Amino acid sequence: MTASTAVSALQAALAAENAAIFGYGVAGAHLAGNSLAAAEQDWTTHNEARDTLAAMIRQLGAAPAATQAFYQLPFRVHDAASATALAAYLEDGVTRAYLGLVAVSDQQLRRFGALAMQGAAQRAAFWRGSTQAFPGLSTP
Amino acid sequence: MPDIVPRRRILLASATTLPLLLATAGCRSSSLFAGPDPLAGRPPLGHDVLTLQAVIASEESMINLYRAAINGDSGTTAQSRTLGPLLAQHEQHLAQLRARLIEPAGTPATPSQASRPAASAGGDGSASTGPGRVTTAQLRAAERASAASLVQRLATVEPALAQLFASIAASDATHVTVLAEKGLG
Repeated sequence: MTASTAVSALQAALAAENAAIFGYGVAGAHLAGNSLAAAEQDWTTHNEARDTLAAMIRQLGAAPAATQAFYQLPFRVHDAASATALAAYLEDGVTRAYLGLVAVSDQQLRRFGALAMQGAAQRAAFWRGSTQAFPGLSTP
Repeated sequence: MPDIVPRRRILLASATTLPLLLATAGCRSSSLFAGPDPLAGRPPLGHDVLTLQAVIASEESMINLYRAAINGDSGTTAQSRTLGPLLAQHEQHLAQLRARLIEPAGTPATPSQASRPAASAGGDGSASTGPGRVTTAQLRAAERASAASLVQRLATVEPALAQLFASIAASDATHVTVLAEKGLG
């Protein structure tokens, strides 16, 4: 697998992180108390991950893809329940994106992607209220 | 006159030259056939197969550990309610891992295919057999060790298998959180 494949996988992860940052901004507006605190913490985590990914992409000689001004939400978010569902949805997307990194040939990137998957899967489980057998894999 | 060799002459030529050709080919068989000798016995198992066997054995130990925790004398209803879904997910892991394992027919049973007694997690994350109560702390340690071990194995397996390992490791990591939050044991 080539460096360009690694860059593509990193860009996909970056896109998922950017979408999560946007989405948590929407979800946070409908949450309160501990849920809001958790959303803020996760939003910060995704910002840090975005910066890390952007630096990794630059290190490979590419330019990080710019964030979009607006992201189409998968469903209408109008209360705490839908905001919670959105947070789980976002984390599922991030988990899937990092799974792509696990398939590249670079061993360090594989490990990085696998560990990032664990964080995203744990956050998804928190918001969903249950765990999954195969996070990131639609059909194992 | 047509340029056709009579059939009798072809048969005669075959009878005299074929043994010579076979003898020559036999002397040079090692250079002519560079592939594996089909008569040399079963080829060694590939790296991915050996890795899968090890991961399957670990998953089976994990399942036995959960069963021991659920069925043990100290198991409470609340504990079973929490551990049951996690056990079910480990059984799904095992089914997927076994589905990826393609062994030649007649391969001797590996430790992973043999039935094992209930196990408890050792300090190094490996499972050791023995009676006694299985605590949630032991399950947590085993889950954490499993996730770490799977990530370690990512580097040397083909991409699709690496993704399955990473996904199972992520699942194990969520189990660690659940077990810690429930504070069971």
